[in-house]
Amino acid sequence: MTPLHTALLVLLAPLGSAALITLFLGRRPALASAVSVAAAALVAAGALWLALGGARFADSLEWLRFGSFSVRIGFKVDDLAALMLSVVGVVGLCVHVFSLGYMRDDSARSRYYGGLSIFMFSMTGIVLADNLFMMFIFWELVGFSSYFLIGHWNAKASAADAAKKAFIVNRVGDFGLLLGIILCYWTNGTVSLSALGEGHGLAHVAYSRLIPLLLFCGAVGKSAQLPLQVWLPDAMEGPTPVSALIHAATMVAAGVYMLCRINVLMVPQAAEVIAWVGTLTALYAALCAVTQRDIKKVLAYSTISQLGYMVAAFGLGSVGAAMFHLTTHAFFKALLFLGSGSVIVACHHEQDIFRMGGLKARMPLTFWAFTVGVAAIAGVPFLSGFFSKDAILALAYDNNPAVFAVLALTAVLTAFYMLRLWKIVFLGAPRSEPVEHAHEGGISLTSPLVLLAALSAVGGYRGLYPRAFDGVLSQVPEASGTAFAAVLATSVAVLVVGAGAALAFYRTDGADALDQRFPAVFGFLTSLRASFDLAYDYYVAKVQQRAAMVLNFLDLVGLAGAVVRGLAGVTEVAGFGARSLHTGRLSNYVYWFLGGVVILWAFAAGVL
Amino acid sequence: MSNLSLDPLLLAVAAPLSLAVAIVLGLPKRWVMKLAYAGFAVPALTALWAWWSFGDAAKESHGYAFLSSYSTGLDGFGIGLKLGLNGISLPLFVLAGIVGLAAGLYAIQSGAERMKTYLALLLVMQAGLMGMFASVDVAFFYLFHEMALIPTFIMVGIWGGRDRSYAAMTMTIYLTLGAMLSLLGLIAIYAKSGASSFDLMALRDTLASSPLGEVTQKHIYGLLLFGFGILVSLWPFHSWAPLGYGAAPSSAAMLHAGVLKKFGLYGLVQIALPILPLGALHWSHGLAVLAAVGNVVVIGLVTMAQRDLKQMVGYSSVMHMGYAFLGIAAGSVLGAGGVVMLMVGHGLSVALLFLLSTSIHRRVHTFDMDQMGGLAPRAPVLAALFLVATFASIGLPGFANFWGELPIFFALWSFSHALTVVALTGTVISAVYGLRAVAKVFFGRPSASFTRLCATQPPPDIGWSEKLPALVLVAAMVFIGLWPRSLSTGIDRALAGEPAAVVANR
Repeated sequence: MTPLHTALLVLLAPLGSAALITLFLGRRPALASAVSVAAAALVAAGALWLALGGARFADSLEWLRFGSFSVRIGFKVDDLAALMLSVVGVVGLCVHVFSLGYMRDDSARSRYYGGLSIFMFSMTGIVLADNLFMMFIFWELVGFSSYFLIGHWNAKASAADAAKKAFIVNRVGDFGLLLGIILCYWTNGTVSLSALGEGHGLAHVAYSRLIPLLLFCGAVGKSAQLPLQVWLPDAMEGPTPVSALIHAATMVAAGVYMLCRINVLMVPQAAEVIAWVGTLTALYAALCAVTQRDIKKVLAYSTISQLGYMVAAFGLGSVGAAMFHLTTHAFFKALLFLGSGSVIVACHHEQDIFRMGGLKARMPLTFWAFTVGVAAIAGVPFLSGFFSKDAILALAYDNNPAVFAVLALTAVLTAFYMLRLWKIVFLGAPRSEPVEHAHEGGISLTSPLVLLAALSAVGGYRGLYPRAFDGVLSQVPEASGTAFAAVLATSVAVLVVGAGAALAFYRTDGADALDQRFPAVFGFLTSLRASFDLAYDYYVAKVQQRAAMVLNFLDLVGLAGAVVRGLAGVTEVAGFGARSLHTGRLSNYVYWFLGGVVILWAFAAGVL
Repeated sequence: MSNLSLDPLLLAVAAPLSLAVAIVLGLPKRWVMKLAYAGFAVPALTALWAWWSFGDAAKESHGYAFLSSYSTGLDGFGIGLKLGLNGISLPLFVLAGIVGLAAGLYAIQSGAERMKTYLALLLVMQAGLMGMFASVDVAFFYLFHEMALIPTFIMVGIWGGRDRSYAAMTMTIYLTLGAMLSLLGLIAIYAKSGASSFDLMALRDTLASSPLGEVTQKHIYGLLLFGFGILVSLWPFHSWAPLGYGAAPSSAAMLHAGVLKKFGLYGLVQIALPILPLGALHWSHGLAVLAAVGNVVVIGLVTMAQRDLKQMVGYSSVMHMGYAFLGIAAGSVLGAGGVVMLMVGHGLSVALLFLLSTSIHRRVHTFDMDQMGGLAPRAPVLAALFLVATFASIGLPGFANFWGELPIFFALWSFSHALTVVALTGTVISAVYGLRAVAKVFFGRPSASFTRLCATQPPPDIGWSEKLPALVLVAAMVFIGLWPRSLSTGIDRALAGEPAAVVANR
């Protein structure tokens, strides 16, 4: 098989699976899950074969042409795509296997697995895309699969609302993205990633700043950056494996990946904006995470915060640092989400951490795997998150002290809220009935945890990665000399302060210590979290919906008719209110109408 | 051309028409129900055959294939029945065949009162639609349109829902007026061109060598624009559309919104743009502002405010026509190509939405979305189809509509930056009303009244008689969505080299 065929297989296997499930397996859930898992396995195998085999190529085919405008569909497999594809393949397979256990009793399993396959198809499309058109197409498709899977339990109004919100908020971001692609096309004459990489000297200086920022809007939506982060916490309404795959490891990281793909278009002024958006998002989301009671929402805010790190790293000019953190984050955040899924199943879908406790003894494997994940994200030395976060801190230390300070503070908070979660969930005594009887799940639930825990532990050693990813990983910045010492000291201090404070401060008695001892701080953080939703709700209910109602009223009373007839004769307008026009006066009515149109036309044509 | 061999395009018109005549002459009902399948299938199969063989078919003249002409006795006026397809009319001929088949299948199982008359009228409509897009002669293009339009009024008036007489009257007034104005414009082209023929090829040849003056072009294009504009619900001449579609029986709404409404856009792209480029240029800015601000934004917001499912679909259709007008205003091959793709995509998706709206009504006995909810667990297939239709209509890639919207947005940028930004807001607006409708109808908890209804007569999921016409439409949307080249290559060839391209490069 040539590399091109492999890439096609990786892309089309999940599409075939989705089609098969939709058309024939709607009432055969066992078979549907088997087909979907097999497709995911094919993706993983194909991705690793492509990546490690060292095949690097680009190829494309015309999809539609009007005049000189041509949309092509094609692949660009370079080290960047190979790395991302491997992450998607490995995490995707873990999540599919985990789903076998997690969704065992669900009544709509076929639909679920169909959705997962559509997602895998769309996501590999983004990764392989060789031009911005194709990327946009698959970008929209992952948005659809995300909508579809968040709303899996659509009989719950909250799940249906969350799905709708996710899609619409992403469309707002995509408004900018599409505008950016349009601008890029008309300015550079191409949207091919390879051609853009070769071209230099953009025609319009103004556009050269505007294009990357507009494209970044797409990443703001998809990667849940300020101010469009509001959809991701709500997206936790979806099944937990979906949260792990789509809303933690891969799809939300697609924004970062897209930025790395268009790195050639970046200019310093745009990069600085991007760096600050990422930095502030990291801090804001970490602050929000501190007050959450729902185990998945803590992880959701943590995801937003970590995505902020990646975006900041990109803004500071390092594709390597951004992609490195994307990779390690995919491992440890998927691990944390699947670990939380294991906990949630064991506790009969209890998600409130203050009703858990004592799970260390009852679920030892999940506990140890989760502990590895917590240690990795908190930055415990020699685990994966330590290295990738260190690279970002080193980068910030060299380039932007203010960003460095904020990111270091965020790292303190990260250690703090993660250790809070860890202590409250696993230590102490069980605080509710189902938790007392919790026990470890079957092999489909535990085996992905083990694999991901291993990857989270060692994923930071770049020496372990095959040379195949050197194009990306060799660009990871490394501090040296005093900077090295300063960054290392900061990392360790941050960990000790954050983790120590959380372990000392929180107790396992079923109450939030922050709420009890510092209610003002707790209240502030809660309202900080709610502020965006409040503002958007106000806009939707009070501005948008009212505008719609007013316009609807104007339309109903016959704005159209009134304008046209108003030019012809006031008398007709007066009579319009009544619907008595039916009888007798039909010809009259047509006559006035015709007159009005003719006058309007004459006026517009410049005759009058 | 030989009149002896079987002419497929003529067959597509004659088959449904002769069946309609037979019904009127008293064909027994059991025969009607069986033959009706053939009456709708023959045009669809002809269309698929034409689509399949168009690429390799000999282009006898002006890029037209399958040409044939018949004397009508009106040769003195330059009117003759001349049938043929080029890259622009082929996609619409296909659209008419597919939507006609779906509307026919849906009508046959609908159990409407006076079924024979209902089917006869639909068959007449179908014959008119096939003829309209197959006509190379402008006069017959118009006549076939009238042939399809008049049954619409009758169907709304007799089989319509709430407010049917008011809706039928409003529709009649607006659409008759629009048709009159466009007829005036078409006659003006005939009179001013000096070609003494309604044959579009002759008109084009004559006007290519001696184009009309700028002032003449301006006025004729204005007539056509307002005439066609009313027919395609250009803001603010759109009031008839949501009202009419809200009342129309589903198959009539499917055929009108899906196919017949495209008459105006097709007339602009196939006739007006190539032969009146200066007129088009003169009106383009006004048209673009009306379409972007009026159709897309204002009507988009109005669509959000709708509670009645069918009216919402009607308004959304008005909104999407805004994109089509923007493509025409952009005046380039890219814009016009996008318009043709959008006509097909929109026609398929809006027909599916009207079909499914009626299927929903059968189960919940209302069109008021606030009285619905929680239908998905009871009718999962219906829910899935409605989801597909909604996402297709809001321009998700993978469905045909996307290939209309994308080129139009790109074409629009080189015409007006500001209006591109305005028009792009429509992508968000349509997501809001589309997903809101899905959530209100299918998700969450059932309303109190629907819960009571479920207790007495639980709604079944849709069976094959309703599913089949829906799947016909879905298959076409997905096929074109995945393989747009199957249409765009022909469109591109037909548009290339037209004077319209001159406008773009002014």
